[in-house]
Amino acid sequence: MTDAIRTENLGKTYLSGFLRRPFVGLEKLTMRVPEGASFGCVGPHGAGKTTTIKMLMGLQAATSGQAWLFGVPITDPQSRRSVGFMPERPYFYEHLTAWEFMDFYARLSEVPAGERTARITRLLERVGLERFRNVPLRKYSKGMLQRAGIAQALVADPRLVVLDEPMSGLDPIGRALVRDIIVDERKAGRTVFFSSHILSDVQSICDRVAIVVAGNLRGEGTLAELLGDAVQTAEIVYRGAVELPGAEVLSRDEGGARVRVPVDDVDVALRALHAAGAAVVEVQRNVRTLEDVLLDEVERARPVNEKRLGVLA
Amino acid sequence: MSRIWVIATNTFREAVRDRVLNSILFFAAIVLGVSLALREISIGDTEKVVRGVALGGVSLLGALIAVFLGVGLVYKEIERKTIYTLASKPIPRWQLLLGKYLGLWITLGAEVALLTLFYVVIVGSQQGLPGLPIFVSMAMLMVELSLVTAWATLFSTFAAPTTATAYTLCVYLIGHFADDLKLFGEAAEPGAFRTMTEVLYRVVPNLETFNLRTEAVHGVAVPASELAWSAAYGLGYTAVVLAIAMMVFERRDFK
Repeated sequence: MTDAIRTENLGKTYLSGFLRRPFVGLEKLTMRVPEGASFGCVGPHGAGKTTTIKMLMGLQAATSGQAWLFGVPITDPQSRRSVGFMPERPYFYEHLTAWEFMDFYARLSEVPAGERTARITRLLERVGLERFRNVPLRKYSKGMLQRAGIAQALVADPRLVVLDEPMSGLDPIGRALVRDIIVDERKAGRTVFFSSHILSDVQSICDRVAIVVAGNLRGEGTLAELLGDAVQTAEIVYRGAVELPGAEVLSRDEGGARVRVPVDDVDVALRALHAAGAAVVEVQRNVRTLEDVLLDEVERARPVNEKRLGVLA
Repeated sequence: MSRIWVIATNTFREAVRDRVLNSILFFAAIVLGVSLALREISIGDTEKVVRGVALGGVSLLGALIAVFLGVGLVYKEIERKTIYTLASKPIPRWQLLLGKYLGLWITLGAEVALLTLFYVVIVGSQQGLPGLPIFVSMAMLMVELSLVTAWATLFSTFAAPTTATAYTLCVYLIGHFADDLKLFGEAAEPGAFRTMTEVLYRVVPNLETFNLRTEAVHGVAVPASELAWSAAYGLGYTAVVLAIAMMVFERRDFK
């Protein structure tokens, strides 16, 4: 099966300022997004997520490497034939009403005239803007613009939907709506590729995740792969003046202690505590989240990033 | 072609809904009105003075619209980030730019038609219906505006509006004083200055070619062959400038 997105050593170096000093926006990104996947690209601000998306969407030219959308090189505008895109913090033609705006993009995407009306109505209903279809976009709130942006990205009935920070600046209801739409699109067989720094959302809806830090891909795979190889631990709180061999003591007072043990050792530890006459008060498993993985990667990439930003210079 | 047309109509719609345009039209009505008042204070053939001032006003306002709308053509899309969704569509960049230019051209056509109507109504109310030379001069003004807009579009593909406005106004002014520039250069000693004036004379279009206002004011007919030659010169020049604009736009990164 053709990959929806494939990149090989894709890179972007900007020349900034009067002296044209080079700044690495993205360094050799190689990744695959299989068709039908819901793929989240996470990383801190300035990591290269938006740069990647802009190159894929033909807004910036890559300075190294190559990329393909459904096997067609991104340098060919036709590669974006079945692609819907919503940029970060979208701004749209303020002079248009939601209906005119959707109609404009539907025509540009060559949606057949007979299907346009029904499709626009359905999409506006889906994002909850049908009531405001004749209101100019300049009167829309930020959240409403974001919804219009998503509806616009879906108007061509695309096989691949690319969303740059779709949750940023939305209230919890808006975020839930975006989450539902992504899940539905995925169920409908579309590939969804999006960037986000709201990791709880990514964790709840993605089946594959790429971690980009300091212009580099630091990890890619299913959530289980990314989270799984980490050593899982649990914390035990007990009462009684008992020493637990092999456990890392987190805190201790005269009444008892809070210790950390590997998950596999919990049973042994509980038996030992019981035998020594201690009373176990609480056992809690430390679940590693995507956030932990990302923070580790950021920490690991710190020297690279500082060099990139010229902090050490 | 259909996609170019979709972009063109959207550009036209945006310009029409932009209130700046209304104020320019309002200003045009005032200029035409004031030109009538000149009748009271001018000596000699007062009707010709009125016609000359009115036509000059129309031409200047047309150029102002062309410059101000043209320089924002691409920049506004980038500044408002609307370019992100537009350029990500499966459309070659040159078609995008051509669509935008065409939309602006339709806007200018509508403006010149309206200004002509104002002229007919305001000046015609005193002097009777204007003759054919007036309409011919308006058509040639449109050719000039096509060219000025092409330059404004070219500058807008790489410069911010203020800089692009300055560049376009330079082209407009040099273009209207091209003949003087040539004479000026010929009078100078051979050297850097003379070479510069020669280069400018050749690069910048001679906009006086399209100025048929004197003929219009005096009601003199211009030979058809001369008209055809001027129109071909203007449209050919426009095509070249637009082609360069497309090449620049093709390579542009949207940050």
